[in-house]
Amino acid sequence: MISQSSCRGAGGSGRVMLRLASVTKEYRDGEVVVRALRGVDLEIGAGEFVAMAGPSGSGKSTLLHIAGALDRPTAGSVEVDGHDLATLSERELARLRRDRIGFVFQSYNLIPVLTAAENAEYILMLQGVAAAARRQRVRELLAEVGLTGLEDRYPRELSGGQQQRVAIARSLASGPALVLADEPTANVDTATADSLLDLMERMHHQRGVTFLFSTHDPRVMRRSHRLLGLVDGRIEGDGAPADLLDGRL
Amino acid sequence: MIRMGWRNLWRNRRRTALTMTTVGFATAILVLTQALMHGMVEGTARNATDTFVGEVQVHAPGWVTDRSFYNSLAAPRPVLAALAEAGLPAAPRAYGFGLTARANKSAGAMFWGVDPAAEAGAFDLPASLERGSFLTAAASREVVLGRKLARSLEADVGSEVIAVVEAGDGSIGNELFTVVGILQGLGETADRSAAILHSDDFNALFVAGGRIHEIAVNTRGAVAPDRLEARVVALARDADVRTWRELLPMVSDMLGVLDASLWIFSSVFLLAAGLGVTNTMLMAVYERTHEFGVLKALGTPPLRIAADVAVEALLLAVVATGIGAGAGTAGALALQRWGIDTAAWAGSTSLAGVAFDPIWRASFSLGALTTPVLTMWLVCVLAAVYPAASVARLRAVEAIGRT
Repeated sequence: MISQSSCRGAGGSGRVMLRLASVTKEYRDGEVVVRALRGVDLEIGAGEFVAMAGPSGSGKSTLLHIAGALDRPTAGSVEVDGHDLATLSERELARLRRDRIGFVFQSYNLIPVLTAAENAEYILMLQGVAAAARRQRVRELLAEVGLTGLEDRYPRELSGGQQQRVAIARSLASGPALVLADEPTANVDTATADSLLDLMERMHHQRGVTFLFSTHDPRVMRRSHRLLGLVDGRIEGDGAPADLLDGRL
Repeated sequence: MIRMGWRNLWRNRRRTALTMTTVGFATAILVLTQALMHGMVEGTARNATDTFVGEVQVHAPGWVTDRSFYNSLAAPRPVLAALAEAGLPAAPRAYGFGLTARANKSAGAMFWGVDPAAEAGAFDLPASLERGSFLTAAASREVVLGRKLARSLEADVGSEVIAVVEAGDGSIGNELFTVVGILQGLGETADRSAAILHSDDFNALFVAGGRIHEIAVNTRGAVAPDRLEARVVALARDADVRTWRELLPMVSDMLGVLDASLWIFSSVFLLAAGLGVTNTMLMAVYERTHEFGVLKALGTPPLRIAADVAVEALLLAVVATGIGAGAGTAGALALQRWGIDTAAWAGSTSLAGVAFDPIWRASFSLGALTTPVLTMWLVCVLAAVYPAASVARLRAVEAIGRT
């Protein structure tokens, strides 16, 4: 097993955005105890663009949930943007998610009764941003993700790719330090996947946001700057995508 | 929050429409029932007070329990003058027992000595006639009889009736009176015994010397009951002042029972509506568990999510009660205008000497509208507490996993 303990952020800031130390996650599935993560140690620096690969059931989603303060580990510690999650209350965790973490889900998970603009605006509303400033920021964001003219459409009126663009805009609206994306290109065709990756990479460069996303797609893995290989709840590989994919790690 | 709640409400149109129908129907029934019950209470109180009892009565101490002819008010004139000056309509009355007879029929009677002008100013008594007319302004040996008394004597308008009484000076007073009117049903006591005379004729018959046993005050609701009682007490310091509720406790109790039954009845409808809303909100919340998980993942605080559910329930309540209140108001206004004729199945009824109007009319007021509507809003929000609390407690990671 290769575990990464040094910080190799693309931004080169040296600041650790996400740190997992000896993280274990177990849960019960009926009578069976499932060990989703088995002592994961991981550090991701601020400004990195990291992909995480592994077969189904390898623990990718569980790791993203724990990194995103959606779930607590059975053992070990998690630190996000300098915050030790174990010390935070549910309310503080909710605030951390709202202000510092963006989520992009495989099935978009837009709120069906809100328009594209309203979906992107939602977190800003939670943050108490004034309506005019909110609308301005969302208009700019939707323009950046290529959705100008589609602001008032409901999710059901958008294609899968367009919905995922809205989800990316929503994840970035609050100005997060870390964006976690769970197989963001799994439900779209190749061309759309490419354009979504272009978009995420552009956002990463322009905004210096740290991205950690899970994927099954080798083409997507190659676009990352660092690739983690997860097998049976352990990080079995960590390095440059080309090295990992060519079996050199 | 409101916009989102409104849109969520219509995601399952049929279910929302069904729940709205339940809540709206319950609201309409409540508004209508409130108006009908208020109408019955007000009508009963009006019958009890406006015909002849009045809102407040003034007597000599002890007269109410021992109606002795000799226990009259010590100084009624200053009280009457003070009441007139205060603008409180009042009618003085004297009472005496005696015998009435016509041909070979006779019956015991309670003679009332009244001032026809004062009665007309404060009460409906002069107009409460089955046939004939009320007493003329000047004494002219006329009598108005209760309808059952008239039937006992086989007397009608124009008949002559002999009155024989024990006068105040111990002599036997007797006089011949002409029946000018027969009272409509005013309650058992008045129907069987009332023989109403002009006060001057009464004084002459009973050698009463201007005795007054009762001053009945009636503002027809212009002065609140508590304030009226206080004002009359202040004007008639040495007298016994009683409200109609004290004088007619059975009627007062019956109105209390009506009030209580209204609340019991209302509670059943509110409970049914509340259960309907709880069911709808539970279903809505269950169907959207995944969505609530996403909202939590985005950083929505639990309280805000609970508030979203409560707002949804409140919106449902506002729309449904709006429709229900509109329908209920229309029905109440119609029943206020035309009423329900209960004579067909209830006949003429009276309780504790007070006759009930066979036409049951609603009494629509702002209170009859706002009480059920606001209570329904409260019930709907309370009904959403459990679904809202269960959503607020959801763990994001588990909720997202549910589809």
